[in-house]
Amino acid sequence: MDETRDINRELMLDANATAGLLYEIFGAEMTASPTECAHCGREGEIGTLLAFTQGPGIVLRCSGCENVVIRIVQTPEAIYLDARGAVYLKLTRT
Amino acid sequence: MKPTLNWQIASVADIKPETASVKTFTLKLPAWTRHRAGQHYDIRLTAEDGYQTQRSYSIGSEPEREGEVDITVERIDDGEVSSYLHEVVTPGDHLEVRGPIGGYFVWEAGLTDPLLLIAGGSGVVPLMSMIRHRAAAGAKNPTALLYSSRSFEDVIYYNELDELSKGNSGLQVFHTLTRSQPAHWKGYARRIDEAMLREVAGPLGRSAQVFICGPTLMVESAANALVKIGIDSNRIRTERFGPTGG
Repeated sequence: MDETRDINRELMLDANATAGLLYEIFGAEMTASPTECAHCGREGEIGTLLAFTQGPGIVLRCSGCENVVIRIVQTPEAIYLDARGAVYLKLTRT
Repeated sequence: MKPTLNWQIASVADIKPETASVKTFTLKLPAWTRHRAGQHYDIRLTAEDGYQTQRSYSIGSEPEREGEVDITVERIDDGEVSSYLHEVVTPGDHLEVRGPIGGYFVWEAGLTDPLLLIAGGSGVVPLMSMIRHRAAAGAKNPTALLYSSRSFEDVIYYNELDELSKGNSGLQVFHTLTRSQPAHWKGYARRIDEAMLREVAGPLGRSAQVFICGPTLMVESAANALVKIGIDSNRIRTERFGPTGG
């Protein structure tokens, strides 16, 4: 049994928990907005992604195939966003 | 109007103990905006040396209440923010908050589908906002809450849930107590499982909209069991809060 994996599993949250940070980055509420996993093609709201928030960065994984969809790293000066695991992100015009 | 999400200084209007480890904090908000049931606020603490830490806390009150929100917080032994809220904060104190946040784990009283709410411990808080909202709006959609607590003393909002489920409200509340039960306990006395979900969810039919909130492993097992009994995973929204919450 892989113990690290078990601990990560227990600490896993939903992307809902990162809604405040996503709002900070995109200037909009994002968790009800759709995205598509670049690995398996699963489409769903960002809120359906699994969130791993205990590391130095935040990792959002597909709830279907569990591959990485979005990575976010914050430093005092900047926020780094790696969204290569998403085919697209949708920002609704307001 | 586009809502903004700026940090603001809330003042603590009231603190109410709910159980031995859970308190409700009423926050008065200078820049209040109406929340949607299920949303949360972020609370940020800053130490004198500039060190900052923040946590998200679900809103327990109904959106119909104006100018203030209740957040219900469980004290976690090594929780930086929850222990500060429980042990240091008193009425009149100020807290830096931003919200309301989140658009995924939300329910609106206009939705008429049957509603199945599943809570573990303080995971009941955002679901309570939905139940209070449902009552305030006069919604009658069939609704069931299945609420798992360790013991009777750990049940949050017991009396209010009891009141709200009376009459023809259409709300049914099922408790399960996993560690200890009072004498003559008539509710469930085990962890949430497939058989229990079948009994609670069955009468609501397969079109029920499901919200599950609680410790991660409990949410996982409840969601998996619901899929097994035939509920479409697209109808299930989850809010996991880690091993014990923050």
